[in-house]
Amino acid sequence: MSTEPSLPHPELLAAIPRLRRYARVLTGETTRADDLVQETLARAWEKRRLWAAGTDLRAWLFTIMHNVFVNQRALARRDAQNVSLDGDEDGNAAWQIPVRAMQQTRVELMEILREVGRLPVDQRVVLVLAAVEEMRYEEIAAVLSIPVGTVMSRLSRAREKLRRVAQATPTEPSTLKIVK
Amino acid sequence: MNPLPLTDADLNAYVDGALAPARAAEVEQVLAKDAAITARVAEMRQQNSALREALDPWLADPIPPALLDAARMPQASARWRRFAPYFAAAATLLLGVASGWYLRDVTLERGGTPTTFARQAALTHALYAGDINRPVEIWAAEEKRLVTWLSRRLGLAVHAPDLNGAGFALVGGRLVAGNERPTALFMYENADKQRLSLQVRKQPPGTSEVAFRYAIEDGVGVYYWIDDACAYALSGQLDRAQMLTIGRAVYAQLAAAETGTPLK
Repeated sequence: MSTEPSLPHPELLAAIPRLRRYARVLTGETTRADDLVQETLARAWEKRRLWAAGTDLRAWLFTIMHNVFVNQRALARRDAQNVSLDGDEDGNAAWQIPVRAMQQTRVELMEILREVGRLPVDQRVVLVLAAVEEMRYEEIAAVLSIPVGTVMSRLSRAREKLRRVAQATPTEPSTLKIVK
Repeated sequence: MNPLPLTDADLNAYVDGALAPARAAEVEQVLAKDAAITARVAEMRQQNSALREALDPWLADPIPPALLDAARMPQASARWRRFAPYFAAAATLLLGVASGWYLRDVTLERGGTPTTFARQAALTHALYAGDINRPVEIWAAEEKRLVTWLSRRLGLAVHAPDLNGAGFALVGGRLVAGNERPTALFMYENADKQRLSLQVRKQPPGTSEVAFRYAIEDGVGVYYWIDDACAYALSGQLDRAQMLTIGRAVYAQLAAAETGTPLK
C-alpha cells in the first residue's frame, strides 16, 4: 500500500498549458476552462487503454475536451438534440477572458483577442486550432468531428471577419472602445 | 492551360501549409503577378502571428494544483472500478494461478524456496510488460526520484542497472507486491519494443544464496538469483542465451556497485 503520491504524468503535464488555452477559447472564461481541463484529464485516465502509443496525445486530448464540452453544454441546456457546435451563434456571449497584462500587451493584440471573442464559437475554435495550434485540417476535423470542408469554410469565414474588423479599425491606439 | 481560379479556401490552405505541392506552386505563380492577392496572403499571415502573439502568453500561466493532481495517475479508489474491464484478463490469470498455487506458495515461500519468487516475477512481468502505455509508475525521465522512492520502500539501496549496452533502455519502474514483501520493478525496452523487467527485493536474513537459476513460467523466461541481502529476477520473453547475457551484465553491475567500484 503506497502512500507516495504518484508524479504527474510527464506527457499529460506537458499538455496542460495548451489544453487550458484551448479550453479558454472554447468556454470564453478561465474558471470553467480549468474545470474542463480537469474533467478532460480524468477522462483521459479512464480511457488510457485507448491512448495508442505513437499517436499524437495532444490531438487525442483535444478531442476528449471537445466531447466533454459539447456534452456539458447539452446537459446545461437540457437539449439532447442539439449537441454540436454547428451553427452555434451564442457562444460569444460568454467571452469573459480578461485581457491579461494590459500594460505589456500591445493594443492590436488586445483588439484581436476581443475580436476572436466575438466570433461564433465554432469559427473561433477552428481558427485557433489552425493558426495557433497549427494543426493540420484533417486533425482539426477529427478533433471536432466535422468534415474537412467544414473546417475550411469556417476558417475562411473567421479570417474574413477578423479582416473586416481590422480594416474598419483605424490603427491609432485611441480606438480601444469597440462599437458593435 | 491556366490553373483553376484561386478560391478563398486555396489561400487559407496556402497560408496554413495545407495545400498539395502542385496547387501551392500554382498559388505562387498567381502571387508573383497579383499584388492584391499577395497583400491578402500577407495579411492572413500577419493575422496568424498576431493571434499567436496574443495567445501564447497564456501558456506561461502557472498550472493550478488541481490540474497537477489531475495529471497524476488516479489512486486505487472508486475510479479503479471503472478500469476493471481492462484488467479483467490479467486479474483472471492471477486469480487462477493464485488459487491453484496457494498452498504450494505458502509452503515454499515460508521455506524460503526461490521457485515461487521466479513464478511471482514472471507473472508480475507479464502483467506490467503487457501494458503498453503504463508499464511503470515513474518514468525513466525521473530515474533519481524513482530510485530514491524504491530504496525507501524496500529499506534497501537499489538502483537501475544500465542495460543500454545490451540494447535495452530503462522505461521506468514501480513498486510491486511480492508474496510477502515489497519488490522494486525496473522495466526496460529495446528498439523492437521487447520488454525486460528486473525485480529486486530484500531477503530475510539467513536466506541461503542461490546462484543463477533459470525457469520458464507461463512462457516468460526468468533468471533469478539470491545473494546475501537480495533476491533478483530478470524476466522477459527473449531466448535463454540472450537472457543469460543480460543477466550477467546486471549481476556484474550490481556486484561492482556493491563493492564501490565505479560502474563501467
